[in-house]
Amino acid sequence: MPFTPKSGKFNASINTVEIGTGDKAVKIGGENVFPLYSFDAPIENAPKVGIEITDFGMEHELECIKKYYEGCTTLAEIAAKAASMEGVDFLSFRMEGGDPNGANKSTEELIGELKEIAAAVDLPLVVCGCKNAEKDAELFNAAAAALEGKNAVILSAKEENYKTVGAAAGLAYKQVVGAESAVDINLAKQLNVLLSQLGVDKKSIVMNVGTAAAGYGFEYVISTMDRVKAAALQQGDVNLQMPIITPVASETWGVKEAMSSEADSPEWGSQEERGIDMEIETAMAVIAAGSNAVILKHPESIKTISGLMKELV
Amino acid sequence: MYKVTFKFENSEDVTVFAAFGESLLEVARKTNVAIDAPCSGNASCGKCRVKLIGGELDSKKTRHISDEEYAAGWRLACVSKIIADVAVLVPDIASAYRSRMKVADLSSPDEIKIFDNIKKSIAEAGIELKNNLEIIRVTMDEPTLDDTMPDNERLVWAIRNQTGMEHVKLPYSVIRKMAHVLRESNFDVNLVIRKTSRDIFVYDICSGEKEPVVAGLAIDIGTTTVSAIIIDMLDGKILAKASSGNGQIRYGADVINRIIESQKPGGRDKLQKAVIEETINPLVKNMCRQAKLNPMSIYRMAIASNTTMNHLLIGVDADPVRMEPYIPTFFKTNSLFAGDIGICVNPDAHIILAPNIGSYVGGDITAGAFVSMLWNKESFSLFIDLGTNGEIVFGNSDFMFSCACSAGPAFEGGDISCGMRATDGAIEACVIDEETMEPTLTVVGDSGTKPVGICGSGIIDIISELFRCGIINPKGKFIRDGERVRRDSDGMGSYILAFEGEEAGSSKDVEITEVDIDSFIRAKGAIFSAIRTMLSYCDFDISMIENVYVAGGIGSGINMANAINIGMFPDIPVEMYHYVGNTSLAGAYAMLYSTASERKVYELASNMTYIELSAIPQYMDEFVGACFLPHTDASLFPSHG
Repeated sequence: MPFTPKSGKFNASINTVEIGTGDKAVKIGGENVFPLYSFDAPIENAPKVGIEITDFGMEHELECIKKYYEGCTTLAEIAAKAASMEGVDFLSFRMEGGDPNGANKSTEELIGELKEIAAAVDLPLVVCGCKNAEKDAELFNAAAAALEGKNAVILSAKEENYKTVGAAAGLAYKQVVGAESAVDINLAKQLNVLLSQLGVDKKSIVMNVGTAAAGYGFEYVISTMDRVKAAALQQGDVNLQMPIITPVASETWGVKEAMSSEADSPEWGSQEERGIDMEIETAMAVIAAGSNAVILKHPESIKTISGLMKELV
Repeated sequence: MYKVTFKFENSEDVTVFAAFGESLLEVARKTNVAIDAPCSGNASCGKCRVKLIGGELDSKKTRHISDEEYAAGWRLACVSKIIADVAVLVPDIASAYRSRMKVADLSSPDEIKIFDNIKKSIAEAGIELKNNLEIIRVTMDEPTLDDTMPDNERLVWAIRNQTGMEHVKLPYSVIRKMAHVLRESNFDVNLVIRKTSRDIFVYDICSGEKEPVVAGLAIDIGTTTVSAIIIDMLDGKILAKASSGNGQIRYGADVINRIIESQKPGGRDKLQKAVIEETINPLVKNMCRQAKLNPMSIYRMAIASNTTMNHLLIGVDADPVRMEPYIPTFFKTNSLFAGDIGICVNPDAHIILAPNIGSYVGGDITAGAFVSMLWNKESFSLFIDLGTNGEIVFGNSDFMFSCACSAGPAFEGGDISCGMRATDGAIEACVIDEETMEPTLTVVGDSGTKPVGICGSGIIDIISELFRCGIINPKGKFIRDGERVRRDSDGMGSYILAFEGEEAGSSKDVEITEVDIDSFIRAKGAIFSAIRTMLSYCDFDISMIENVYVAGGIGSGINMANAINIGMFPDIPVEMYHYVGNTSLAGAYAMLYSTASERKVYELASNMTYIELSAIPQYMDEFVGACFLPHTDASLFPSHG
């Protein structure tokens, strides 16, 4: 008797969310199979890769990143350079300097920078905040207005500020709203429910369910993503069918494997290679667990992951 | 050393000396000044307010004290340090814990009816309502110069002759007074005895002309409240009843904080004293006064309480209860007498302790499961005791599972800023107009009574209504604005049920805050997730439940439909829910009055399977999912909306 493989595709599917506009717009999500299970059914949109820059430009970056941006002096130039790297699908701008406990840059200054960047690139944009919920509410409110018509991702609304961020990004300026929760399937779902009760269209929400660098409590991350996808596909839970976008760079480039210099840890070998390895391993793991997009920093990692996606999907 | 003076509205000043830098709350505790501190002094509950009226205190301002209040001298005792001589006023609210809680203490006709029904159903289950205490009348020949048998032998002979029993024990208390009683009554006496198949124990002796009262004492020792009744052991009638806050409250609101406190030097004695000398003995005194009874005529006691409470009561080390693998000193013990632990009743009174079955499922639940009768039905029932710890029993006549979860004091009105017991002035029910957001309140007391606080059943109604009207979101945060919705300087929202002056009967607004709602959502989440986790552990599902018995101090006013609306109980028809009152007290009563019941409770306890929820990884997931109105998984509440 011949072997007939049984397809593992589901009746439910992950929402397709388009980000950006025009030729360079990208779609994430849309699959009705488990992550990368293209043998069960075709996966229309392969996981996408974004590149991250911050409002500090190259000021705080490691040498191994800086060398790719030689000659760039303004944020606009850095953004344009980033956008031209191989395999980049979208650009992510992190307004790190807005943190009231850090540089505490004003909203006007940061939004001015955001506008410069938006003018310099035609890739889809993702805007990340400073991790202070109150300041983020203010920043995202202004960012959503500044990027009107660009269909950008505002990453992200949290339980503390979802009303302001959701209303500005989702209702007033029709951007894509990121919903961020801390590595817990129930909290992820609760925030999606709150945002949709606010009136934000479920189809323009993407989730950041929380992440960590591989080895740093990473099992929780993987298990959360796994269960989110299982609930979305197997149980058809409409409040968890939003695609997942995972900022990886901001986690992996802060751990000791990436930070410790060769002088301090000679037995670990090349610092640049370590940093790239951490980034690639973390990114690939979160993609295999269900992330529909990742945000990375090192051009080599970006090239590798986007190459892998072309091969796998 | 500095002089610290505590002043009170209704009693004498207390003055002590304290060292520089000592915490005012600690000084108060050492001096036995009752200041309510359910959070154990973490500046998180804001209940330990005192007013600075003289001298100085080094005191941080916290979010619980507004600028005006701070200027008026209000401080939190837990963040105040002694730096000079000082005088503070301890307001009555701070010590109000003694009375603030809703207690199902048989004070209303509804509760008495529930209690009587329980008695009936025990009898219907074929359990004999009878004990082995009785009165016998014995007459003896008076001694003469020719008949020189001593009094004790004379009495024992007479008892043997009359009862045919060989072994008779006379305790010291009887021997001490018998010479006098025998002669005064011309050797015609009434004896209070316990008769078993092996022996006779004589508790008391009095003149044959007098009919002695044979009384028994049943106590439910809750983490937050203690209620007790005195009964006539011969006919089961209730002679007196009373309840009060558990005096241990000032050492922490929950069992874990109490255990930690008991580990400090002298802590075990302190906690034992707080429950016996400050709580139980005054209750007994009070009830004896009501019933015109000599406390010495209480010959037997039954106590139902959780494992930590019975460990602290008898003064054994409760620390292992808190530490993995959570092993208590005892599940049951029957070698305990009132005299051993200083309870002011007949010192020979045997103490029956309802048996524990785990570190967090104690005698209050085994006693409660007994009176709920779920062991006597073929169909599956759920028994839920809503207390500081929520305990759940599921099963039928073939098996029973039980588990416990920590709900906090919210169900008893603790941890809620305007929480109170269901006495005059408590809001016990509420309906809110969706359009105008105006509340319609039902207040305990004569018509026209103005509200002063909220009791457990009121909180359920208010949260359910706020949610139905879209005033709060499923996380319990305020999302509508209006005249009755207020935000403080930190952005915390609250809903005013009654404004001070016109509407409220108190000097401040009666309100419910986001923090209150959050505490309550956690409490209900703990209960619901425990139910779900336990059912799925036994591979059962909610549809198999035919009856739900809800017990605890929350009161007979509980609106089951609203409790389902907020996701506290499973979404099954409300007719399946039955409020059964304080089953811990009812169970203690049954064990006290009926020896057969006592045996049955021991039997049930040994057949009940205890599930440790903390060992089930799924529980935490379920809990987070349940901390949402009604639930993160809306499909569990199909009849909602």
